[in-house]
Amino acid sequence: MNKHKFIHERRPHWKRFEALLESTSRRSLSKLPAKEISNFSQLLREVSHDLATIRSRGWGQDLNAYLNDLVARGHNVFYSAPPANLAGVYHYLTFEFPRLFRANIGYFLTACLLFFLPMGISWAVVQSNPSLANRVIAEEMMSRFDQMYGKDSPLNTNAEESTEEEQESDETEDIPLGSFGDERASMAGFYINNNVGIALKCFALGILLGIGSVYTLLFNGIYLGAVSGYIVSQGNGERFLSFVVSHGSFELTAIAVAGGAGLMLGNALIHPGQRTRFQSLQVRGLEAVQIAGGAAVMLVIAAFIEAFWSPSDIPSSVKYIVGSGLWLIVIFYLGFAGLQSTPQTRPLSNRGPQG
Amino acid sequence: MTATMTITATSNAAADIPQRDDFRGRKVLGLEMQIETPENVILTYQLAGPAQRYIAYMIDLIIRVLLVFGMLVITPMVGIVLPGTAMGVFLVLMFLNTWGYYTISEGFFKGQSIGKHFCGLRVIREEGYPITFWPALLRNLVRSADAIVFYGIGITSMLLTRRFQRLGDLVAGTVVVQERSLTLPRKPVILDKIQPLNKNEIGSFLPRDEVLSLIDEFIGRRHVLTYDRGHALAAILAKSLAERLNYSGDPKKVTHYPMAFLAAVYKTFSFEKEDEEQEAVDAYQRHGSPVEGNRE
Repeated sequence: MNKHKFIHERRPHWKRFEALLESTSRRSLSKLPAKEISNFSQLLREVSHDLATIRSRGWGQDLNAYLNDLVARGHNVFYSAPPANLAGVYHYLTFEFPRLFRANIGYFLTACLLFFLPMGISWAVVQSNPSLANRVIAEEMMSRFDQMYGKDSPLNTNAEESTEEEQESDETEDIPLGSFGDERASMAGFYINNNVGIALKCFALGILLGIGSVYTLLFNGIYLGAVSGYIVSQGNGERFLSFVVSHGSFELTAIAVAGGAGLMLGNALIHPGQRTRFQSLQVRGLEAVQIAGGAAVMLVIAAFIEAFWSPSDIPSSVKYIVGSGLWLIVIFYLGFAGLQSTPQTRPLSNRGPQG
Repeated sequence: MTATMTITATSNAAADIPQRDDFRGRKVLGLEMQIETPENVILTYQLAGPAQRYIAYMIDLIIRVLLVFGMLVITPMVGIVLPGTAMGVFLVLMFLNTWGYYTISEGFFKGQSIGKHFCGLRVIREEGYPITFWPALLRNLVRSADAIVFYGIGITSMLLTRRFQRLGDLVAGTVVVQERSLTLPRKPVILDKIQPLNKNEIGSFLPRDEVLSLIDEFIGRRHVLTYDRGHALAAILAKSLAERLNYSGDPKKVTHYPMAFLAAVYKTFSFEKEDEEQEAVDAYQRHGSPVEGNRE
């Protein structure tokens, strides 16, 4: 076969394949009529064959480049993963995330050690000796914190300048902005923006051999412990504890979960096992990000609890009961969710079409 | 996973010309990435370098800043009615702008953010498959580690890896490739006015298909060169071919009109083959029996 004749014969097929690619760029392949899909599949193999032919004959770079790009695009369309849908999200939340979490629970326990232990220590130390609080919390921060913590302080609504710890004195009812729910919505936004961002960063910095995650966990543990100890030592323990008990279940656990996912990334580089470092990073990275994604969802839930439930005007005893219930829910969710269900197709997951 | 990846030098088409073989079989740094598809065809992708990706990043950055400005304008207007809710929505949108912009665009729009779309770049998996949600999330969460010291870590990583991958790419197993626009190869040169070489003036040497294709492409592209430069380039191949062919015709034709000579060589070998083939087919149809031919 001669090059000219070959091009002359095959060109209409290439053109048709191009047109099909064009139509798949507007809607996904699965929405095309069945006939066109089988047409697409056949043409993809034909054009692949053409590419191999002109390569083996050495029929020129132009033709090679054209067919290469044509096959590359077809390849991209043909082997794309099924689109994500709500069923996939549900499956991820009820099955995939808790399963992955349990499969890698060691990292979570390590993260807990790095987070809750320093927190407990700094809490105990600061509570017994409040003057040490200024070692951790900046002086200026403390004075503002004291002022804010006063019963009549109107500063509670200042979302931008305060960190989450400073919202703990949300007892005042004379809110200048709108109604209670409206005001709280801005706090929910703030908690999402701030807390989820911190957790995601805590995860991402794990790529630096885990150092970033360890640092974030230790820092937040010590800081939160010091703040808690300081508030309790000032005689406001009751209000503080009833405030944090509800959302703490989701929030504190999720920080440890995200930190653990970050440690996974770091450990994949430090102990690659039988794989190369990059391979191990890729395999465990995909698991780690699915765990971190779950932590982000938990933090969003925590943000809503913290904004709408925790500061509400409900007796402390009720808050303690509900708070304990939420802790149990978190424990049961992470410990047992998805144990009974059988593995099935995972539309959101993406090990590539070859599994 | 059958995908293999090597970075090789582009094959040299002019096979009959003395070759620089020093690149053969050695991995050299290049912008090409090869992937074997399930159809057993090797696909070549052009990797995107740091400079191209920087431009795409700047476009995305401008869009993200504009989004923030847009929100800053709208929020106070909505805030007249519900100040708190407007603020909350603003903060959530800020969060999505920071952490979700790339994930959503790359995860759900075939690996292209707006900036990448404008620059003709696309994120794909290392195995050549399209990127999906989780790898997109992973590579863009790790962006915050890459971004330390003005993307110093990301750029260092890109320069140290063969496929220009920043940390996010390495962990998610993705690469950024250039998407070339499809250009149908031009119609092969029709050489109506060119006479094929006289068979008596050449030996039995048959140039390879690669050489003929090279001539084809060269002549097709001659208008991008100046006349002098085109002739200077053509002279090299023409001289070498004339030697191989034992060309005994007018030597002026080689030295003074190398391009015409190449065209004549092309016509001689490219078109005659086809004619012979056609004759064989005709003979087959006439006699109804297979004949010896070089049908492929």
